[in-house]
Amino acid sequence: MKNNIRVERAIKNLTQEELANMVSVSRQTINAMEANKYVPSTVLALKIARVFNKPVEEIFLLEPGD
Amino acid sequence: MSQALLLPHRYKKIGWIILIPATILGIILIMGDFESEWLTTRVFAFFSDEILAGKKSFSLITTNVTNTLVGTLFLVGALLTAFAREKHEDEYIEKQRLSSLLWAVWVNYLLLLLSFIFIYGMAFLQVMIYNMFTVLIIFIARFNYILYQNRKGVADEK
Repeated sequence: MKNNIRVERAIKNLTQEELANMVSVSRQTINAMEANKYVPSTVLALKIARVFNKPVEEIFLLEPGD
Repeated sequence: MSQALLLPHRYKKIGWIILIPATILGIILIMGDFESEWLTTRVFAFFSDEILAGKKSFSLITTNVTNTLVGTLFLVGALLTAFAREKHEDEYIEKQRLSSLLWAVWVNYLLLLLSFIFIYGMAFLQVMIYNMFTVLIIFIARFNYILYQNRKGVADEK
């Protein structure tokens, strides 16, 4: 699964730290997701989608191998 | 989704404060094999079969408790260090914690397996003594290394 958190973050002009605080996780978690090293739980994915005010599918995308 | 089996974060520091001196004492014990005279005392034992005293169960015995003390300190320190919550214990950290634990159990038992096959006699007794502590040691090393790597990875990104 890939995601465009980094892009959405740039649009909203948020730092990793700020986004991390808004969804109450650590900055490492945001960093790991952006690097595609971590697939978030459904709860966290929904929280992130809510911050960016978009449906989850627009931020998190399935890849062929999934 | 928070792990109920973790201790509050403040215990991590307390854990280190106990663990570090206990490790140093442990190494001294292994190297020197000494027993402090003043640590010979009466203790309650579920079971004891010391060579000269014979077998006793559920009774008070007189013995040297140097090893008992250092081992207990080490275990308490290591448990606190290993299983105290991180400052920000979120789902990603939890995943790292569980995978480190899995890793530690694998490495520990592979090492034990090697020792089983290739080490014999009194030396194997030594291996068994180490093996009482290695799962925790490997876990603490692995988990903290991963946390360190994460922090380093984050430091150079905006």
